[in-house]
Amino acid sequence: MFELSTDVGNLKELREGGFSAYDALYLGDFSCPDYPNNFSSHPELLEAGLELVKARDQKAYLRLYAVPGNSDLGWVEDLVDAALELPFDAFEVHNLGLLRMLREKGCRLPIHLGVFGNLYTHETAKVLKEYGVTRVYPNPELSLDEVRYIADNAEIEVLVPVHGKIPLVISETCFILEHSEQGEEDGAQSGACGDGTCSYQCTQEHWLKRGRSDGSRADWSLKDTGRMTLSGKDLCMVEHAAMLAGMGLKHFYVHNKGEAHGYAAAVGGIYRDALTRAFCGKDAEDPTASLATLAGLAREGLCNGYYFEGAGQRYFGRV
Amino acid sequence: MTRMLAPAGSLEMACAAVDEGADIIYVGPLGFSRRPYESEMSDGAIREATDYARARGAELRVVLNTFPTPFDFGRFVDKAQHYADIGASGFIVTDIGLMRALRQRLPDTVLHVSIGSGISNAQDAAFYRAAGADVIILPYRWDVAEIEAVRATSDIGLETFLFETVQTGKLCPGKCIMSSYLRFRDWLEVEGSRDFHGSANRGAKECYRVCQASWEFGVPGEAPLELKLRRDARLMLAQLPAFVRAGVSCFKLSGRERPVGMIRDLVRFYRKAIDEVIGGATDLDHHAGELAELRLRWVREKSRRVDTLMDRAASYAN
Repeated sequence: MFELSTDVGNLKELREGGFSAYDALYLGDFSCPDYPNNFSSHPELLEAGLELVKARDQKAYLRLYAVPGNSDLGWVEDLVDAALELPFDAFEVHNLGLLRMLREKGCRLPIHLGVFGNLYTHETAKVLKEYGVTRVYPNPELSLDEVRYIADNAEIEVLVPVHGKIPLVISETCFILEHSEQGEEDGAQSGACGDGTCSYQCTQEHWLKRGRSDGSRADWSLKDTGRMTLSGKDLCMVEHAAMLAGMGLKHFYVHNKGEAHGYAAAVGGIYRDALTRAFCGKDAEDPTASLATLAGLAREGLCNGYYFEGAGQRYFGRV
Repeated sequence: MTRMLAPAGSLEMACAAVDEGADIIYVGPLGFSRRPYESEMSDGAIREATDYARARGAELRVVLNTFPTPFDFGRFVDKAQHYADIGASGFIVTDIGLMRALRQRLPDTVLHVSIGSGISNAQDAAFYRAAGADVIILPYRWDVAEIEAVRATSDIGLETFLFETVQTGKLCPGKCIMSSYLRFRDWLEVEGSRDFHGSANRGAKECYRVCQASWEFGVPGEAPLELKLRRDARLMLAQLPAFVRAGVSCFKLSGRERPVGMIRDLVRFYRKAIDEVIGGATDLDHHAGELAELRLRWVREKSRRVDTLMDRAASYAN
């Protein structure tokens, strides 16, 4: 009927989190190889993670590091080699160099293009299909009409995020560490990022704010996880589940990275219900209670991203 | 052969850059090149710039480095065909699908991979080469070691901005949509009639350079730091000989949005320096005084421009 997926960074989160609402899990944090026990950088943990996911009868997709430099290619290749020996259901790549690497290795697994793969057009999707890409995560700037056009005209699966923060920026170094006491001691130019001495300050929430009390500047808020910056607001499409089903879209995603324990479970349950009703042709329930729960999890409020055109932080309610 | 690629944000700038010795100038058509309309050019002006450059032995490349909407893809290909017909020698492109289409339609033109493609390793370069690209622009973080790594993987041409390498900060061309998340404006009439909403990455909506503005950063409840998300780029010089030895064949001066006088002075300066390197010079220290002055002008102008863009962004509706 449809697939609902989310992301899990490591074994601890996988064991302790509630993921029963999901059909599939993207394993690993694609933004930071130093994230503790990250599936995306620890081949020795893949088998245990996969076992847990398969025991729940869910699909497991392995995420690869989104912005590998030349010095990262060796360890990423080791991870890929280990994963190819295991029954993963797909790889997720953001980097076209890694996509090329997978093809050179004769990878027969489906490949999903991640959010930082810069997929804007059906013509690009067609090129990527030649490399084994079967599913794309269109750039968040695209409207729903554009997303559907790509799905129809490239004949490819599209992953449609329905809830959670929107990935806006990814960088090769950790902004939190660069501006911490540790980073400054190590010297901003050399940086400690990537040298194995990370103190994981990203476990605390960090925010970027820009505003003026006189109203002459916008009050802007973004969440920062170190190498990735996310929208301040949470994308929320729960009021539009029926429309998504009506558009023929089938693969939905909840962005969980950087959220507190319990977020994926609470959000997943709400969307499982809403999408199930929509795909069964039942009328949507009154969204008031669901919206209140989701708003309570969103420190800076809710938005619809770019789906209905315009700036990404606007929200259009159906009711 | 080592060449200099210079900006042409206007016909006047195009002529100035050619007069001062640029081998190639690059122009952005209105609504297609990731710059505000003031730094882009009409098709008529592009034709004049092409004629001016070609008459003096220089080339003109067209920047089509916004991402097309799926609905507007064909228009990009038609625009490129038009510019090739009037004498443009190549294109600067981001979208892989567009790159493939231009390679097939215009096999004799030179295709540059724009910085907006977000290349981060040598395998990326090989991917783009296979997709039909002739030249990649090197990421801001890359130094000689990375250039040599690409050389070992691919025969693709190497182009670099005339900026020193930077290792820290949110330096993410091609991996950033902050600007459109925060603010949005509709297309302007001068940008042409377009039937999709846009962003800095998609043409009409300028990038507000939010990474270069001041932000408060930190953990809720604690005193925040005031900072920019990235450092200002510094014009480079000392690295030129090493980059040429490593295989860089094209040096790109940024700045279509800068004053014409500044671009004129910069092209003159770098023409001199590049010619010295081609002639065998390995030490350019004697230019240090002039470089310091140009760097100061560059940073002052940049600060003024960032403030203007942020004020403009704040004036738009969400």
